[in-house]
Amino acid sequence: MSVPLDAAAPAATADRRPVLELRGVSTHYGLVSVLRDVDMEIFPGEMVCLLGGNASGKTTTLRTILGYVQPSEGQVLLDGEVISGLPTVEIVRRGVSMVPENRRLFGSMTVRENLLLGAYLRTDRAAVEADLERVLETFPRVRERLGQKAGTLSGGEQQMVAMGRALMADPKVLLMDEPSMGLAPVLVEQVFEIIRSIRALGRTIFIVEQNANMALSIADRGYVIQTGQVVLADTAENLLRNPLMREAYLGEL
Amino acid sequence: MTGQPMSSWIRAGLAAAATSIFLAAVGLIERFRDLNLVGEEVTFAGLVMAVVPFGVGYVLARPRIERGERREVPLPRAALVGAVAGIAAGLGFGAAAVAVDAFGVDRVRAVFLNVTEGLIELVTFGLPPVAGAGVLAVMSGALGALGGAYRRSPERWRRPLGTAVVAVLVLGFLQRIVPIALDQLNLERDWLYSRRTGGLTWPGAALAAVVAVLASVVKARLAERWRDLADRGGSEGAEPFGGLRLRTALFVAGLIGVAALPQVVGSVVSEVLGTVMVFALLGLGLNIVVGYAGLLDLGYVFFFATGAYTLALLTGATLNTFTGQAEPALSAELGFYLAIPIVIALAAATGLLIGAPVLRLRGDYLALVTLGLGEMVTVLVKSPWLTPLVGGPNGMRNVTDAALFGFGFRSPQHFYYLGLAFVLLALVVSHRLAASRIGRAWTAMREDEQIADAMGVNVVRYKLLAFAMGGAIGSLGGALFAVKIGSLTPASFEVIVSIQVLGLVILGGLGSLPGVVVGALVLVGLPGLLREFEEYRFLAYGAALVGIMALRPQGLVPNVRRMRELREEERAQDAWARASIAQEREDEEEYEEPPVEPAGGELRP
Repeated sequence: MSVPLDAAAPAATADRRPVLELRGVSTHYGLVSVLRDVDMEIFPGEMVCLLGGNASGKTTTLRTILGYVQPSEGQVLLDGEVISGLPTVEIVRRGVSMVPENRRLFGSMTVRENLLLGAYLRTDRAAVEADLERVLETFPRVRERLGQKAGTLSGGEQQMVAMGRALMADPKVLLMDEPSMGLAPVLVEQVFEIIRSIRALGRTIFIVEQNANMALSIADRGYVIQTGQVVLADTAENLLRNPLMREAYLGEL
Repeated sequence: MTGQPMSSWIRAGLAAAATSIFLAAVGLIERFRDLNLVGEEVTFAGLVMAVVPFGVGYVLARPRIERGERREVPLPRAALVGAVAGIAAGLGFGAAAVAVDAFGVDRVRAVFLNVTEGLIELVTFGLPPVAGAGVLAVMSGALGALGGAYRRSPERWRRPLGTAVVAVLVLGFLQRIVPIALDQLNLERDWLYSRRTGGLTWPGAALAAVVAVLASVVKARLAERWRDLADRGGSEGAEPFGGLRLRTALFVAGLIGVAALPQVVGSVVSEVLGTVMVFALLGLGLNIVVGYAGLLDLGYVFFFATGAYTLALLTGATLNTFTGQAEPALSAELGFYLAIPIVIALAAATGLLIGAPVLRLRGDYLALVTLGLGEMVTVLVKSPWLTPLVGGPNGMRNVTDAALFGFGFRSPQHFYYLGLAFVLLALVVSHRLAASRIGRAWTAMREDEQIADAMGVNVVRYKLLAFAMGGAIGSLGGALFAVKIGSLTPASFEVIVSIQVLGLVILGGLGSLPGVVVGALVLVGLPGLLREFEEYRFLAYGAALVGIMALRPQGLVPNVRRMRELREEERAQDAWARASIAQEREDEEEYEEPPVEPAGGELRP
């Protein structure tokens, strides 16, 4: 591709150390190569989006970061420490948490129980309570639903709980897997509103999205992945202006 | 006129006829023609023949929900529906009898062993078959009409009447049990049970009915008063007339009742209760694995056997041989109470051992593999390899009676207390576990393993923990079983035990502790009390499970979480329906306004 890859790190943050870094990561499912030599960096407080078509390796990138699959080559680093090869539980403990695709709440548990499960590994009760309060301040509608079964909430409310659950871990990096997937257009608006409010909390967010327009409109930077390789890396603004991008992902605007 | 058309009544009647034919063919009618329940007039056979048409009338007259409204069937119509269905049921059943008679009873009998001359005679009232079938149809019709009318009768009559009938029938069924208990209490029994017919006497039945009616009326009155007082008490949940004191009194009374039970009911029932305890322990253990952690384990008998045999070996039981007895290859002479912690530890270790290879398996696959492990139990125990240790097919004997200060627990009445102590212990442990961090981790894992993992729940560890904890509690069941019967043979550890335990856990309600106890009482206690029906045990068992799954999938005493879930689902659906109607109206209004800011508008070049 014509765009130089070293444009990836924006000048403003170049002097800082990335929170999450993928260094030359390749992942295989058996004999099938899914990710090839992927490099990514996410800096503190940044919101970075990962764009790509179907089966381009977006979800696998997240699965690799979370330790569901091990990279066959390369390393994933969190705060400069290698986390690839660790079990998922350990990676979560160190500060990576995820908002899964389709929300996937524990349907028979109450909203409160769901939120507290997000903080399952934390032992600092007082801080957990404080964080719960903060989450509820961010999502006032969730407070009304605290005692209700998570499965009975509307799609938008469930998304809030899923985000809240991930926030309860007080993570260094928040991964979001296709938050707008399968939602009606009105709800997509709502979800991105929620993400904006989480951004406002100063969280570092790595979001995988198919809705490139929406994602780039709120992200700082973006990576574009195609058949397992990073083909574009730039600031969100530049990506939005990039003719290749507009042709391939942003539709005929 | 709304409601079901006549053809559906007839269809229901024919289904009832098929039921009767089935019950007759399996022998439930003819074989019990002499099982007198009350006097000589009410026999079990007669009851079976009457219950089916009555039942179909009852079911057809139930209120219907049509277009969101509850519709009661008017009384005359209920009776009519019942009568039509009952006649159809009687005609179908009678026709079958006529057909069998015409075809030749002996030829049918070649396949259906229970179809005899006696059965045909019984069903057709000793009349010529065609005439008898006619009488049967008329009587069925009457019973069906009665069933329909009963369903529609006012509740304040229906309740006491139903209670009375059920009470009399239950007493009639317990004719082998209650007289013995009365004898043991030195009470006169002849006024209640006739020695000649075996069943209740008519005066006895009448008295029982009166007592039941009174009890039912008093209970209804009390409930009414309770409601009134609660209403008046306001919303702060003020307890009517010293609720705490009353509850304490009830609790103490219950405690005394439970403690005195074996003395009151005698050794036969105590023996059955002992078996119930053993199965309740097994159920509580399996409940952790299946109910809490959601791992379908069909090889649970493994822990039953582990518990029984390790206890036997640790407490110095001997092997049965052809010539007498022999020492096992490896054994210890510990006391029961010293051995129990070791049994628990070994069973937990066995749980880890079994859990480890099946960790990656889910659902059906896990069930299949554990079923295989369960099948292995008897094979292992019988194998020449383990014979020097556990006696092979001959088994072991001289298992300890768990004596405490010289007080042995082998006799049924004593064993009851030992069992009770362990069941209470297991109940407390299970209860505490469910509410703990571990319990929450299990729930999360059961619902969505991958996401639980992403929340930091160590799925591997909690699965193993579930197998270990479940195994430990189950092994207590095995150990108590060994104490109870004093000897062990491989036949007690067939894989069917796993299925029975799973059945009682599901019947009671997965994840529900009272459910396990009720399930054990129903699936183990009832068959133990009704020995006459031993042959039909698995038929009834299967029918009970199918019935429960179809009519009450949450179990007899469902887990609060699941019950709440079901209720809230309904409420949510109602709310959702209302909300979506409201939303539609709102949307219609909203669309007239200009849209708020187009999505991603600032992206336009």
